[in-house]
Parts: sequence; structure tokens; C-alpha cells
Amino acid sequence: MAVSEHTADVSHAMITTPVATADWLVVSPIIITILGGVICLMMRKQTKIQPRIAIATLGLLMLSNFGLLARVMDKGVITMVMGQWLPPYGIAFTVDATGAMLALIASIVAFATALYGVGDSDAASRRYGFYPFLMLLMTGVSGTFLTGDIFNLYVWFEVLLISSFGLLILGSDKAQLDGAVKYGILNLIATTLFLIATGYLYGLVGTLNMADIPRSVAALPNHAPITTVAMLYLLAFAMKAAAFPVNFWLPASYHTPRIAVAGVFAGLLTKVGIYALMRTMVMLLPVHHALLAHVLAVVAVATMISGALGAMAQSDLRRALGYLVISSIGSMLAGIAVSTALSLTGTILYAIHSIIVMTGLYFVTGMAGRMSGTFALRELGGLYGKSPLLALAFIILAMSFSGLPPTSGFWAKVLLVDASLKSDWPWLAGSILVAGFLTTIALARIGLYAFWRGGPEGTPDGTAFAYAENADMTAPDVTAAYTGMWLALGLLVGLSLFIGLAPDGLVAIAKTGAAGLVDPSGYIGSVFGGTGGHP
Amino acid sequence: MALFGVDYTVIAVLAPFAAALAAPTMVRVFKHNAAWVLAIVPALVFLHFFRYVGAVSHGETFTEGFAWVPAYGVNFTFFLDGLAVLFALIVSGIGTLIILYAGGYMKGHAQQGRFLSFLFLFMGSMLGVVTGSNLITMFIFWELTSITSFLLIGFDHLRTASRRAAMQALVVTGGGGLALLAGFLMIISVTGKREMADVIASGDVLRESALYTPILIMVLLGAFTKSAQFPFHFWLPNAMEAPTPVSAYLHSATMVKAGVYLLMRLNPVLGDTSAWMTVLPLFGGVTLLVGTLLAVRQSDLKMMLAYTTVASLGLLVMLTGAGSEVAIEGAVLYLFAHALFKGALFMVAGLVDHETGTRDLGRLGGLRKAMPITFLCAVLAALSMGGLPPFIGFIAKEVLYEGTWNLAGRSELLTAVAVTGNALMLAAAFAVAFKPFLGKPTKTPKPAHEGPVLMWIGPLTLALCGLAAAVGVGWSGPSLLGPMAGAVAGVPVEGDYHLIPAHIGAPLYLSLVTVAAGLFVFWQIDAVRRGMAGVLKAIGWGPDRGFDQFISLVVRFAGAFTAIVQPGKMQIYMNTVFVVVAAALLVPMIYYGEGPSMPTMPDFRFYEWLVLALVVIGIIAVLAARTRLIAIVSLGIQGFAVAVLYMLFGAPDLSFTQFMVETLSVVILALVMTRLNLTAKDNRPFSETISHMIIAIAGGIGFGALLMAVTQVPFDSRLSDFFAANSRVVAHGRNIVNVIIVDFRGLDTLGEISVVMVTGLAILALIRIRSRGSKVPGNPPTGGPLKPVSEPHPEVAS
Amino acid sequence: MEAGFAVLIGFIFAASIYLMLSRQLIRILLGISILGNAVNLLIFTAGRLEREVPPVIPDSSLVPVGATANPLPQALILTAIVISFSFFAFLLVLAFRTYQELGTDDANEMRVAEPKGEARPPMGY
Repeated sequence: MAVSEHTADVSHAMITTPVATADWLVVSPIIITILGGVICLMMRKQTKIQPRIAIATLGLLMLSNFGLLARVMDKGVITMVMGQWLPPYGIAFTVDATGAMLALIASIVAFATALYGVGDSDAASRRYGFYPFLMLLMTGVSGTFLTGDIFNLYVWFEVLLISSFGLLILGSDKAQLDGAVKYGILNLIATTLFLIATGYLYGLVGTLNMADIPRSVAALPNHAPITTVAMLYLLAFAMKAAAFPVNFWLPASYHTPRIAVAGVFAGLLTKVGIYALMRTMVMLLPVHHALLAHVLAVVAVATMISGALGAMAQSDLRRALGYLVISSIGSMLAGIAVSTALSLTGTILYAIHSIIVMTGLYFVTGMAGRMSGTFALRELGGLYGKSPLLALAFIILAMSFSGLPPTSGFWAKVLLVDASLKSDWPWLAGSILVAGFLTTIALARIGLYAFWRGGPEGTPDGTAFAYAENADMTAPDVTAAYTGMWLALGLLVGLSLFIGLAPDGLVAIAKTGAAGLVDPSGYIGSVFGGTGGHP
Repeated sequence: MALFGVDYTVIAVLAPFAAALAAPTMVRVFKHNAAWVLAIVPALVFLHFFRYVGAVSHGETFTEGFAWVPAYGVNFTFFLDGLAVLFALIVSGIGTLIILYAGGYMKGHAQQGRFLSFLFLFMGSMLGVVTGSNLITMFIFWELTSITSFLLIGFDHLRTASRRAAMQALVVTGGGGLALLAGFLMIISVTGKREMADVIASGDVLRESALYTPILIMVLLGAFTKSAQFPFHFWLPNAMEAPTPVSAYLHSATMVKAGVYLLMRLNPVLGDTSAWMTVLPLFGGVTLLVGTLLAVRQSDLKMMLAYTTVASLGLLVMLTGAGSEVAIEGAVLYLFAHALFKGALFMVAGLVDHETGTRDLGRLGGLRKAMPITFLCAVLAALSMGGLPPFIGFIAKEVLYEGTWNLAGRSELLTAVAVTGNALMLAAAFAVAFKPFLGKPTKTPKPAHEGPVLMWIGPLTLALCGLAAAVGVGWSGPSLLGPMAGAVAGVPVEGDYHLIPAHIGAPLYLSLVTVAAGLFVFWQIDAVRRGMAGVLKAIGWGPDRGFDQFISLVVRFAGAFTAIVQPGKMQIYMNTVFVVVAAALLVPMIYYGEGPSMPTMPDFRFYEWLVLALVVIGIIAVLAARTRLIAIVSLGIQGFAVAVLYMLFGAPDLSFTQFMVETLSVVILALVMTRLNLTAKDNRPFSETISHMIIAIAGGIGFGALLMAVTQVPFDSRLSDFFAANSRVVAHGRNIVNVIIVDFRGLDTLGEISVVMVTGLAILALIRIRSRGSKVPGNPPTGGPLKPVSEPHPEVAS
Repeated sequence: MEAGFAVLIGFIFAASIYLMLSRQLIRILLGISILGNAVNLLIFTAGRLEREVPPVIPDSSLVPVGATANPLPQALILTAIVISFSFFAFLLVLAFRTYQELGTDDANEMRVAEPKGEARPPMGY
């Protein structure tokens, strides 16, 4: 080499202070899940050991995320730059309360899914990647919630998307393949739109760091290009979040995979879109948000109402749940449309609540399906007599989803309605209430058919369908499988109730998160030093 | 007053919830006698609230509790004044008796523990409603009463009628609850207060607010649905599907009064406006008349009582909104009297049903010998309901007539409505209390005999209370009823009532008219019933049938709507998506009128033009290809041309990768497609071709124009400048692109590798797993028991 | 030059959208493949164009000499290209398997997950 190697002063290019040990929590979700996934992949044929590895890995992830959240609440926004390159040049992982909280809840739900999967995944699906997919899905989800770089966000989106493809087709049923085609193509278009928008954004502002973007955007001369970019982000993430009218992929596919998969999808995937919308619409492009607020509000109303109606129109329990996912997305979008600290607190709270409750509802449905061998509403019935415990879980989750106290859903709904009224969006508030009313009817009907009545359609009054000979609940060899399912369900139901009864901590966290989105100075300070940040 | 820092009132409200947890176990251990033990809980709660009577009657109020969700300003607080305390006494007092009654009524029922548990859940919720201070907290309890009511109405869940009634109650009261939430949030927002004491002390703030009308509508929707006002009354008679303890407790004595409670509670701040004084008497009056007319049409004991409950609730709403202090006093007295006599009469109806096996007036008669205690309860309660001395119902009627008679304006109308309603209620009361017991004994499904002590102690106590409250009105007036009326009116009320009227005046004459008319109707009740039945048949439609039609309509509409927005056809999905994409691209540019400025002719060199043309030709060939192979080859040409473009514009690494990827794509495509037996032609109908072209061109223009506009903005190249400056100096690499990939943005590459790894596995799964056609994914095809995981699995293709 | 590229990219987008609007899965896949090229070219152009000079530092220097092509979009595209190829490969195999199982590559005819004439929801209580 002609130029001698030299150890120059690199402080103009790199952060020279060592990373605080605790700050490694920022990237550990990525490391943990990739390692766990790779180990499971290597033990592909050890289908009995895989669940243990997965449960341990995701348990560790939960602990790690809990530690991360505690640290964020204690120290404020934390930034860690990969390779120590000075921001905005290297990829920064910047974690605020919103990201840390969502990462924690996501890991809890993934943990529950791993537990549920013990009984729900057969040997074939384990050999072909059920647990590795689940863990790499969590890599993508964690990366999404934690990264502070918009292109890197795209990469994590793709990681979670391809993992979800893998999970979706495990089984190769006709319906699964059909659903996967629609899910795959439409979602690929959505992430491609995300990539396109990012390309344009880079061309406009010359930076990819999410703390850097708001400053550069403010300095742009004209409106049209950046507003169009904002529109593209809105469209891309609205598609991911399954907002009306670009939500076709969800009802087309969510009822086809095994329940463990549908549950974790329903919990996490759409909420990732909501998270990305909050980041881009509120934090990165706030000025353009004001212009798009009405678009968002109309989309929100259409989404929540069409979802509730769709749920009511289904004859298959799983399909009804798919539409309920959509309806809940509408409420979260309402909070983003209003975009005040209070409304975003509501959206964050709603997202957390919805992650827990939607997954839980799928798990209940899965167990109901196992007990009765069908998901058709006309053929279901008598489950209240068969398993009162399952009925209890259902009613708590249904109440929670409908926004009834004393569950997590109540607080989420109250905050959103309150915020909409306070910001002079009465019709938005009214729509949230009407959508809640419709979902209450939809869920009450499901409860009536599947649980309360004596048996399948046509069972005469006063008689209970005899489930006795189908003694799957007591067979010794399946005890372990059912234990996992009950534990998973209990965890989620308990969490929803706990949030309902003691919401203060979570509301405080969501409030911190929302404040950080509305006024990102803490986020920016954490990346570049200065106000509210720490190096 | 607190225990370990927790106020006793908080403990009192939460105690029934604890009892709910304990009830199933208690019943398992003590069978139906568990009721004796469990009833201690509400009895203690009653005693707790009773201790406040003295202080409250002197005008003191209490707010107790703790901060619950400080992050959102919600406190778990309870507010005690005359109104709250009397209501809490009613809820806990009657609750004690109901628990005992339920112990007897549900004796031997397999789910007695669950039933008592639900009752306790309701009791705690109802206590929370009537004592809740923080509006959000109170609303939570309000919703919980709706939910527990749903569970209790549908308790006998194997019957369709029960499920329908439960659903109806949930939809009506749940819907009203949502409106109330909006109302409460607006009240909080307007007054800036969240605690009841502060809200009701806010004076004219609400009345003068621009939001007064929406707030009023929302609050009234909540109150009217809960308190079964016309036209929302229909759910209440259907709720009689519930076991009788539920009817006696929830659907006559307590829960249905929650709406009235709410109106009374907010009267000081929402009342005294022309809207208030028009809407409440109107709906209340209509409800009163409709309720009584429908009551005398019934022949089922419980149904008759249910409709009189509807009527009484109407009367209460009418009086609350009448606009005078005396009318409010009348409402308070009547509310108290009603809780006592109606609770007792329902329990009597349940006793008769329980011991004879029927509630049909036509099949009952002469029970006085067989069921003397029940008969005594019935008579005592019915006399109070009929407004006869010496019962509290009489005093209530006197005061309410005084109230309506002396109203400014409208007094004749309201008085006439009240007299008509009361007369019909007397007839109904006598029908319930005398018809089954007098006359000749009839043969009943079960041989009649007196019920167990658990079941008659409740009605007897309540009936005697109705007597005692009247005889001891010198105490109950100023201690209980006056303070409550004062809290409702917003000004102190003496509570000076008399069993013997102080002077002979209009109220007494009105009473005489009422009794005479009522007795006449009672005498002619069969004729009246036939007449009403005829009228109803002529009308043919009612909100009860309307409910079914509403649900059916909503579900059908939902079906039709969903079939349109989710038609199941991929092409429609894709069309919609790209229409939205084109709109997202073009609308902002049109909206701002800021398209890109007209570019000059690009100064491409000849060979660059050539490559660009090659890209275009390749793509056109793909579009126009008649066979698959040509399409694939053309795809390859296009891809290679793009790779050459990268090479020409300083991106050799990219160019190489593009070559690789395109080659692989073409090879795989060719491999896969030769295995398929596909129609080669792109057979779109002409109309589709045109519409697709429009969408595609709009999208293309959008993407191109935006890119042009973006590249016309001055570029900020600081990221790349930094990479150029440090790539070699710090990161020790000469190829900047490679340094970015492995170092500056190494994490992207990690993600990319993950994607490749997962793709490989997913493709493997796609190829190797073969379907087994299960109805329930993850379940064996038969839906039978779960199989343990075992190796090797037969479904896996080798 | 960017404007010229913008026109070309607009054309490629239009073509890929047209292909994706087809009901034949295989054409949708061709559209997706072309879409990937359009996106990559778009990112490439958004980072502005520079002729011929790759972003490589000569052996004799610590920093690039003169203007070079913008290296960052190239790095981004390298990541994106591999990802989009992975997706393309997956979707291709998926289409193949779907054809095997369902016997059609007409996306409109794929009505297993959302069947025609689906059962109405139960009415009554």
C-alpha cells in the first residue's frame, strides 16, 4: 500500500466513548432472536427440543426488552450507533418509550405463541421452520421497533415479511397457498412502496437517519414532492396496517394458517404498520401530517366501520377475527389522525392492548376449534358447558376488544374518544363509539353461538350438546400440549385484565412515548447530543 | 375512616367483588345455606353506609378513595351525600335479602355458586355506580352493571329466549353506555372537573356551554336506555327471562334505577332548562302510560310487574324533570317506596312460581291457605304500591300529586298522566297480590305449599319496611328522604312528611280518584286485558320486534357491504391498490400545482441512448410476447440492459449483481414455467386492457414526475461525502460501496442475510410439506384429539 | 440526465403495473421482477447520476480523486436487489405450488380461502 496505515484521530468520524454495558440491550433483541433462530434451524430435526429452545430464547428476549424499557424510562431515549460511526452516518438504533414498550409487548406475545405452538405445531411444521420463522419474525419486529434509520427499517420489514411468508405456508393446504399468494403479492407491493418512498426521501433530504430527517425536511423549498413522499409512506404503511381500502390481503389470508401463526400475525404484523405510521407521519413529516390528517381520519373511520361490519358478516370464526383486527386498526389510525399527545397516547395504548387481545382471541378460537373440530359458527355451540374456563377467557377478551371495563381495551378507547373530542373531531369520536358498539354486537353474537347455546345450530332449547365422547381434554398424551395453550392464553388474558385494573404505569409509558413523537427533541438529542439526550 | 390507608367506603364497594370470588367455593361447601354466610357481606356494607346517615342528613358530603390512574387523572373515588347514601342503602339492603332469597330460589341448581357470584358482581358494580365520584370510575361501574345484567339475564343460557333477552339488554344498555361515555367526557372537558362533588358544584357552566345540547342528548341516551324509557323500554320485560332474584334485584329495585339516579345526580347542573323540563316529562309521561297500559294486558305475574316497573321509571323521570322541588321530593319518596314494594312483589311472584310451578294468573287461585306468609307479604307490598295508607307508597303519592298539582304551567296534563298511571298501577298491584291468593284453589303444576324461610324473609322484610318507613316517617323523612331530595334539587330539603295529611287538599282528592279508578279497573281487569290485547294486535309492530329487524338488517347489510369491499378476486384487489397508488402520487402534485419543471433534453451519449432503448424494447417485448419463452428472454434482455446502465453510471458492483440476479431469475423462471401447462396469451378483454393501461400510465407518470421533481431539488450529499472521506482513513477500505455494506451500514447486510436464509427455508417448506386437508389447520382431518409429536412424520414428503 | 432516467423509470413502472394487473399469476410475477428493476433504478437516480467513475479510492490516495458516483444508493440497492430477488424466488415457487394444488394460475379463480357463495352467518340467537 502506498499510503501508510495510521491510527488517526477518529473522533470526527466515530464515537470514541465506549458503549455503556446496559446500552447493549438496544441491540440484544436482534442478536438473541437471530441466534435462537439459527440454533433452532440447526436442530431442525430435533422437533421436541426446538420448542424448549424457542421458549427459552423468547423468554430471554422478554427479559431483555423489559430491561430496555426500564432503562429508557429511567434515562430517556437511548441511541446506539452500529460500528460506533457518528450519526447520521452509521445506522443508529434509537429507542424511545414507544419503541421499547411495543418491543416488550411483542416479545411477550411471541413468547405466548411459542407456548401455544407446543400444542399447535406438528413435527412437519417444526422441521420446516415453525420456530426459526417465529424467531426471525421477532428479529424483524424488534428491529422495526428499535431502529433509528429509515432504510434499516425497510430491511427489518422485509425480514419480518419473509418470515411471515414462511409461517403462512407451513402446511401447504390449498387455502393456505391461495391466501399466501394474495398476502405475499400485496404485502410485497406495500414494502416496495416503502422502499420507493425511502428512495425519494433520500433524494430529497440526503439522509436516512430518523433524527436527522425532520430537520432536513423543514428546510425543503416546495411542498409537492415531500407531501407526495408522505402520501407514499402513508399508503405503504396503511397497507401493512390493513387500513381500508388496501386491506384485502388480511381477510384473504389470516384464517388460513394454523392458529399459533394467525394469532401472532394478528397481534404483531398490522401493529408494525401502525408504529411505522406514527414514526413517519407524526415524527418525521409533521407538517405534512396536518395536510393528510383528514385523509387519515376518513381512512380511520372507513377502516373501523368496515372491519366491524365484516366481522358481523362472517360465518367462520377465524374470518370474523380477521375483520376485527381491521376494525381495531381503524381506532389506532384515528389517534394518528388527531395527532395530539393525548391521542397518540391512546394509539400506543390501543396498539399494546390490541396486540395482546387479538392474539388472545385467536388462541381462544383455536382451542374452541380443537374442542369442537370446526370453526363454522353454525356448527359451533355448547362450549360454555364444555369448558367454562375457555368461556371466561373469551368473555374477558371480548369485553376487552369491545372496550368494556375493567380491561385494557376500555382505557385505550376512552383515551382515543377523549382526545378526538378535545381536538374537535366529534365525528371521529362518534365513529370510534359506533365501531365499538358494532364489535360488541359481533362478539356477543359469537359468544352466543359458540359458547352459550347448547350445541350446533338446531340443538333444541334446554339441551346441551354431548361433547363427552370427544375427550381430547383429558387424554394423557396431550396434557402437555394443552398446558402450553392454556398458559399462553392465561398470560394474555391476565395481561389484559391487569392493564385494565392497573393501567397507570402503562399510561405513563405511552404518554412519554407520545410526547416524544409529538416533540422529537429528546429523540434528536439522544442521537446528536444536546437537549434531553445522553451521548 | 380507613383501614391500612384504604377508606372503608372503598372496601365496602369492593367487598361484593371479593364475595363473588368466594361464592362458588362457599356453595360447594355449604350448599344453599352458603347464602346465610354470604349475606353477611352486603349486610356489613349496609351497616357501613348506614353510619353516614346522620352526618349526611346534616348536609355533609364525603369524597373518599385514592388516586388510581394519575397519568390520566382518574381517581378511584366515591362521593357520599343524601342521594348516594340512600341508594347505597337500597342496593346493599335489598342485596342482603336477595342473596338469601337466591339461596332458596336456586337451591340445588348445579350453577348456584356461579349465580351468586354474578349477583355479587352486580352488587359491587351497582354500589360503584351510585357512590362513584370520579366520572370515569363511575362510568366503569355503570358498564359493569350492563355486563353483569347481560350475564344474569342469559343465565339460563340453553334457552333461546334467554339469550335473545340478554343480547337485547346488552345492545340497548351497552349502546346507551357508549353515548354516556361521550357525554361524561364532554362534561369533564367543559367543566374541567372529574369528581362528582366538583361537577355538581359547577353551577351554570354546563348549562351555558355550547356543548350543553350534545351533552344532554348523550346523558339522556345513557339514562333512558338504562332506565327503560320509551322507546327503549322493550328490553326490560324481556329481561324477565332471568331467574326471579335477578328480576327483583336488578330489574326492579336497583339497576334500572341507575338511569334515574344519573338524572337526579346531574339535575343541579343539567336541569332547570327548557330542554330538560320538556324532554324528561315527555318521555317519562309516555313511558308511564305505555308501561301501565301494557301491564294490565299481561297475565304472567312477572311480566305484569315488569311493565309496572317500566311505568314507575317513567313516573320517576317525569317527576325529576317536572321542574319543581316538591315534584323532586315526590320522585325521591316514590323511588324509595318503589324499591321496597316492587322488590317484595317480585320475590312474591318468584315464590308463587317456585312453589306452584306457574306464574300464569289464569292458573293460580286460592293460595292464601297454602302460602299464608307469602300472601301477607303480597298484600302489604301491594297496598304500598297502590298508594294506600299506612304505607310509604301513600305518602309518596301525596307528595308527588302535590308536586304535579302546583306546577307552573302543564300541571293539569302531568297530574292527569300521573293519576291515570297510578290508577292502573293499583289495578296491576292488586291483580298480582290478590288474584293468586283469593278465590278457589286451583290445580297447579306443583302442589302449592309455603316457601322456605330463605325465600320469604326477603319480601316480608321489605314489605314491613314499607310500613315502618311510613309509620316512622318522622325519622325516615328528615334522615333519609329529605337529604336525598336535597341532593337532587341542589338546595336543602327539610324532609317533613306526614302519614296523616296535614290538611285536606288537592292531593288527597286526587288520591281518592286514583284509588276509585284503580279499583274499577281491577274489577274489570279481564275486560281491560282483552281490550288492550286487541289494540296491540291492531298495531302489530313494536320495538321488541324492531330489535330483531334491526339486528337482522345490520347483519344483512354487513354481508352485502363486505361482499363488495372484499369480493375475493385478486384482480380487483390489485386494481384498487394501484388506483390508490396513482392517486397518492398525482393528487398532491395537482393539489399544489407543483409539478416538476420542464427538463431540458438529456445529454445522453449515443451508446447510452442505445442501452436505454434496449431497456424499453425488452419491456415492450415482455408486454407483447406471444409465448412464455419470449417473455422470459425479453425479461432477461431488459434486466441485462439495466445492468449495463449501472456499469455506464459508475456502479460496477451493482452491475455485476444485477447480471447475476437476472440470470438466476431467467433460469428459474424458465425451469418452473416449462413445468406448467399454461395459456400463454394475456387474454384480457379490451375494456380491461384500456382501464389497466390508464391505471398503469397514471402510476408511471406519477412515479416519473415525482422522481423528476425530486432530482430537481439541490442534493444534500453529506452522507456520501462522509463515506468518501472516511472509507479509507478510518475503515480501511478502498471500495466505498463495499465499505458501506460491510461497515457503515453493516446491519442492513445482516438483515439481508437473514432474509436470504429464511427464504431458503420457506421455499424448502413450500416444496416439501404436503397438505393433509384438515378442516382445522394443525388438527387432524377429523378434528379429533390431538396427537403427540412423533418422528418420522408420515405427511412429510421424503 | 436524471430527467431522462425519470422518464425511463416512469415507463418501467407503467409496464410493471400493467403486468401486475393481469389475472395470470405468471404475468404478475414478471411485473414484480420488472418492478424491482424500476425501484432500484429509482433509488439510483434519486442519489443523482455521475458518469463512469465508480466510487473507489485510488491506491495512491486517502480519499476519492474528483467526482465519483454516489456510493450510498449503490449500497442500498445491493441490499434491496438481494432482498427482492429472494422474494421473487419465493413467490415463484409459491405460484408453482399453488398451480399444482389448485390447478390454475388465474388469480381470480383462486377461491379456496375466500370461496364463492360462502355460507351466510347464522341469524337468530
